[in-house]
Amino acid sequence: MKKQIRALIAKPGLDGHDRGALIIAQALRDHGMEVIYTGLRQSPIQIAQAAIQEDVDVVGLSSLSGAHKSLFPKVVQALKDKGAEDIPVIGGGVIPAEDIAYLEEQGVAKIFTSGTPTEAIANYIEKLVDPDAGLITSPEKIAHIGIAVKQLEATLPFYQDVLGLKLENVEEIASEQVRVAFLKIGETRLELLEPISEESPIQKHIDKRGEGIHHIALEVDDIHERLAQYRESGVALIHETPKTGAHNSQIAFLHPKAGNGVLYELCQHSEKE
Amino acid sequence: MSDQSKYQQQKQQWETDVDKTTQRFPERKEDFVTSSDIPVERIYTPEDASSVYSYEENLGFPGQYPYTRGIQPTMYRSRYWTMRQYAGFGSAEETNKRFRYLLEQGQTGLSVAFDLPTQIGYDSDDPMAEGEVGKVGVAIDSLKDMEQLFDQIPLDKVSTSMTINAPASILLCMYIAVGEKQGVPMEKLTGTIQNDILKEYIARGTYIFPPKPSMRLITNIFGYCQTNVPKFNTISISGYHIREAGSTAVQEVAFTIANGMAYVDAAIESGLEVDQFAPRLAFFFNAHNQFFEEVAKYRAARRIWAKIMKEHYKAENPKSWKLRFHTQTGGSTLTAQQPDNNIVRVTLQALAAVMGGTQSLHTNSRDEALALPTEDSARIALRTQQIIANESGVADTIDPLGGSYYVESLTDKIEEEVNDYLERIKKLGGAVQAVEDGYMQREIHQSAYEAQKRIESKEDIIVGMNDFRIDEEINPDLLRVDEALEARQIEQTKNIRETRDQQLVEDCLLNLKQAAQNANENLMPYILEAVKAYATVGEIANVLREEFGEYTGM
Repeated sequence: MKKQIRALIAKPGLDGHDRGALIIAQALRDHGMEVIYTGLRQSPIQIAQAAIQEDVDVVGLSSLSGAHKSLFPKVVQALKDKGAEDIPVIGGGVIPAEDIAYLEEQGVAKIFTSGTPTEAIANYIEKLVDPDAGLITSPEKIAHIGIAVKQLEATLPFYQDVLGLKLENVEEIASEQVRVAFLKIGETRLELLEPISEESPIQKHIDKRGEGIHHIALEVDDIHERLAQYRESGVALIHETPKTGAHNSQIAFLHPKAGNGVLYELCQHSEKE
Repeated sequence: MSDQSKYQQQKQQWETDVDKTTQRFPERKEDFVTSSDIPVERIYTPEDASSVYSYEENLGFPGQYPYTRGIQPTMYRSRYWTMRQYAGFGSAEETNKRFRYLLEQGQTGLSVAFDLPTQIGYDSDDPMAEGEVGKVGVAIDSLKDMEQLFDQIPLDKVSTSMTINAPASILLCMYIAVGEKQGVPMEKLTGTIQNDILKEYIARGTYIFPPKPSMRLITNIFGYCQTNVPKFNTISISGYHIREAGSTAVQEVAFTIANGMAYVDAAIESGLEVDQFAPRLAFFFNAHNQFFEEVAKYRAARRIWAKIMKEHYKAENPKSWKLRFHTQTGGSTLTAQQPDNNIVRVTLQALAAVMGGTQSLHTNSRDEALALPTEDSARIALRTQQIIANESGVADTIDPLGGSYYVESLTDKIEEEVNDYLERIKKLGGAVQAVEDGYMQREIHQSAYEAQKRIESKEDIIVGMNDFRIDEEINPDLLRVDEALEARQIEQTKNIRETRDQQLVEDCLLNLKQAAQNANENLMPYILEAVKAYATVGEIANVLREEFGEYTGM
């Protein structure tokens, strides 16, 4: 099980507006974190002490009084003075955009301004504390490039005889109403797709755009997690959950608007070939 | 058949017809509710506005008990509400300039924002004040700063509202001393001190002392002013900050009135007669976006207070029954995104306050979600009020929404729910006890968190923030407080300490200390002597800290 994240939410200085701090504290709790709230009027040194005593993973500061430029860096410094510079400090409140760069220069990891969803803050903290969790890693390779064709038999001679590619197999995928042929090239493949009915998405593609490249499939080994991650980043998905594709692989398509017109497929093979 | 049941029958018939339509074209939501979770019906009819049928008892005429329709007989037909923009930043000198600018622009009253060290009783050179000097308001350490603040502003001509709570007695004494120097006797001074400590514990955070001695300071002010500064509003019982902290409209009124009752109880307990001080109690409410609920809220608040003062406290002077209030538009409703949209929000909110019969109004500036307002933004905010007053015609008749089936129904409903809360708080042992137990704080936090979730799930749409967004760089011209100010202010205060009669200051502070030890002594005369000797806010507050202790939160 993942280690529970501990966060200290603190109000430095004399500012008494704690609606935001309280909401963040509760939202982080709802995200499964353990949250300690300092209450009002904490000096930077008190905050650093509390952070160390409570052994927290992150310190969140809130200020609406305009004292952030003086107080936030002091908290960073106080942590450093006590040898706890590994505890990252984030902040929010009424912070003019032009102060953000200064605060980040002073060692504040991130400033969240008014209107930030609490979800985004929780996700940020999770990644900040455990950089491996949910980190964006690149897909493993291009699994295949899908090419829409009217008829497999009419197209195969070019690939087999002229380009000299090896035909691996031909199969029918009922769910998509297509017949596909896989041709191996290096570590990847070309997938020729032939519609077998008028309802086939490939038929619709051909009607609209003619034959040609239809999609690019990316090989991944964690399709569920990746879909969740992409969804969180605001990527439109055609398939919210994976479905079964060729070779019993799990597949899901992203909406082409995510890739500026290129249709991407995520593809996880049932077992490594 | 009575009129009411006739409407009921007709409405039922109509609903049946409507059901057919909604099956094909469903409404936007299944349930419509106000911010206070009061259900909003598709339509209201005379049967929902039962108050209208017992007009005299529930509504009355303007200037007549229970004041639902307004506290003055002619309301804005004789004089518009006081346009009072809250201002203050940096040094007394700078704020004085902004005040004189606002007065030249047609503002009719002053409202002073103090910086946090002043509000919490620290001098600018106190280590606790670091980084906060002059940030959210003007820094006042000694009478010298106060003299600069009101330089060339005749205190017999303007009324001044001061947002000061825990050290209210100190700042009021400074104001009295400035008046004296200008040749204006204290009987002639008009204005308001906020002086509402309970909501500081609940929502705003600038407390110093524990509740009990704080209540003593407040009743000392009531007692002193009743004879010496009779035209000053000695308290502004504030729902504003409770709402900003995230309460609903109903909670705003309920907790404010509960606090008000606690002050009345404390004053009576200290030996004052209710009619001696009650006419000087003032209120301060918020104005948020839900237009009709806000209008109904003000109307309900007036009726509830009038009934409490007359029936519960047996006040006999009609002035004791009247809930007079200031309104400020809702700071927390403003967005950092597309900040010009805030002008529109402020207009709607200000209109609600005017339709609700406010006595004075502050309209927020469009850039308040980003920083303190610039001069341009502050002017637009003032112009918003002037346009409502002079161009819209809404001020030409009194309580124009009175008699609206919906508004009357909402007014009744809010009154009912507020009374439920008052009953609960009474059972908890009154407002002071409820505050110490954190009851109101928890209620407010729960409402705030639910509102946040509704925004994040887009159940509530905030234009420009969670919908209708644009790509923008949020970086308009902002007012920056000069970072060098802190050092200058510290220098000036040091100077005062070196040039004043130190022996006199020490004598005054010792006298104050001894007076504080005697619970029956009114501290006001001692504080007045101390400020006149140029004792600082921090020095006076420290004497009281030693005697009273400090409140450290829950």
